[in-house]
Amino acid sequence: MARLFEYQGKSLFKRKGIPVPEGKFVQSLDEAMEVADELGFPLAVKAQVFGGGRGKAGGILFAEDRESLSQAVNGLLGKRFRGASVEGLLIEQKVAIRKEVYMAVTADPSTRQPVGIVSPKGGVDIEETSEREPTAVFRVSIDILRGFYYYDAMNLLRQGGGLESREMLSLANLFTSLYQVYREYDCKLAEINPLALTDRGAIAVDARVDIDDDALARQTSLHLDVAEEAGERVATLLEIAAGTIDENDHRGSVHFVQIDPDGSYAGAEGRVSIGFDCVGAGTSLTTMDELVPVGYYPINFCDSSGNPVGSKLYRITKIIMAQPQIEGYVFVSCVSSQQLDNTARGIIKAFKELYPASGGQPNIPSILVFRGAWDDVALDLFREHGISDGRWIKVLGRDTTEKEAAGIFDALYKEWKESGGLE
Amino acid sequence: MRDLEFEIRSGGTVRIDLEKCESCESKACVKICNTPGMGEILELKDGVPSLKPTLDEVKRGACTEDLACELECELHGNKAIVITLPLPQLDEYLRDLSETPTYLRGR
Repeated sequence: MARLFEYQGKSLFKRKGIPVPEGKFVQSLDEAMEVADELGFPLAVKAQVFGGGRGKAGGILFAEDRESLSQAVNGLLGKRFRGASVEGLLIEQKVAIRKEVYMAVTADPSTRQPVGIVSPKGGVDIEETSEREPTAVFRVSIDILRGFYYYDAMNLLRQGGGLESREMLSLANLFTSLYQVYREYDCKLAEINPLALTDRGAIAVDARVDIDDDALARQTSLHLDVAEEAGERVATLLEIAAGTIDENDHRGSVHFVQIDPDGSYAGAEGRVSIGFDCVGAGTSLTTMDELVPVGYYPINFCDSSGNPVGSKLYRITKIIMAQPQIEGYVFVSCVSSQQLDNTARGIIKAFKELYPASGGQPNIPSILVFRGAWDDVALDLFREHGISDGRWIKVLGRDTTEKEAAGIFDALYKEWKESGGLE
Repeated sequence: MRDLEFEIRSGGTVRIDLEKCESCESKACVKICNTPGMGEILELKDGVPSLKPTLDEVKRGACTEDLACELECELHGNKAIVITLPLPQLDEYLRDLSETPTYLRGR
């Protein structure tokens, strides 16, 4: 899922005629002042970060004059919300809200159809409202072949109640526009919360738009980086780099996410940061379960599947090893049908490039466990290329369990550390 | 210099220095490429590796990018093959990185 920032979502709304407050994305105080000169006061200053509860966490401030704008901008830029740094702000006209409504179009996996959702209780967490007050949330499944029309929207809004006829008329039009955003940009979610009713009509005060990853290739006008979903933070450069590996080549896939991008969590927990690669997400989890209790923390997750070509393993290995915090590397395959000799070739080529002086023998404790198709060839290749002979590497075969792998890595790491580590 | 150079699906190139191939006794690249499960795109022509499919077919995925030709040539041939697999975003990351990756440190 590719999530858009609020300002990006609003630009899509604008393209489809959904009213949004006049505003601009800025990354400095000077830019913010220019926007103020253009729009006047009062202004809303909104941190462009992912994650809910931004307002409650102090991520939205209001400015009545240049001084309060300066304070708001300086207070928000660079501030961290849920681990993500604020790199930009949306400065927009403050809206005088009379009533708040919730409106969304999202994918419903149970019916395999889009679903339109509306609630007169806008401005708050819709999931909370749905649980606490289920009768306040109204839904309609949408047949994409038939479409979603003005009268469908009116029917739904009527169920919601609490709206005047005039309000319903403008909201129905807006709802069909939101559906167009959802369809045209291959969204998984197009949400307005709150949709403000003002004396000048309805206006989208916030925007959440999530694009389907699998459709990004055809959504070129959005200029989005493709990366694995990483929760509520922006994708890291390494994740974006990894996202390009499958971009033009669908012969197998690699999935890479940084669990602890700067290694700070591992450090705070007193654990050793390690780079991690697996064939099979289940094996990945069981191996992590064995490594964590003995003091190690994989700062990335990586899984390859669908029998990827060797070049993908080469590229992803270079990405994993580029994490400067790692003091170890673990690769484990499940008993898979993946052609492990090609997997091995990708890793060997990467190791040889990263460690040219030692012929590919790593300088940090590394274990590789090959179990599955062509695993014997994979082991032979590491031997033939002289990498298995390295002091800090163990290349293991199908008789190794995850628990044993963690134990072998632990012993290797302790020996490496006692002999001076990287010093 | 006489090279056989071709582009591959994922965005990269394979370059084979055919002058080195002339004196190669093993022709290990052709052998490994024609092993079951591999791309089977190389053949011997006039004593040096040549492509069976067209350049366009190779670029569209006929080359399975198993990297075996390069590694086998390195072990048993004349080190005549270089496969270049660019990853510009990684280069950009490394350029801006304040810490040195561990593979460039110590030992």
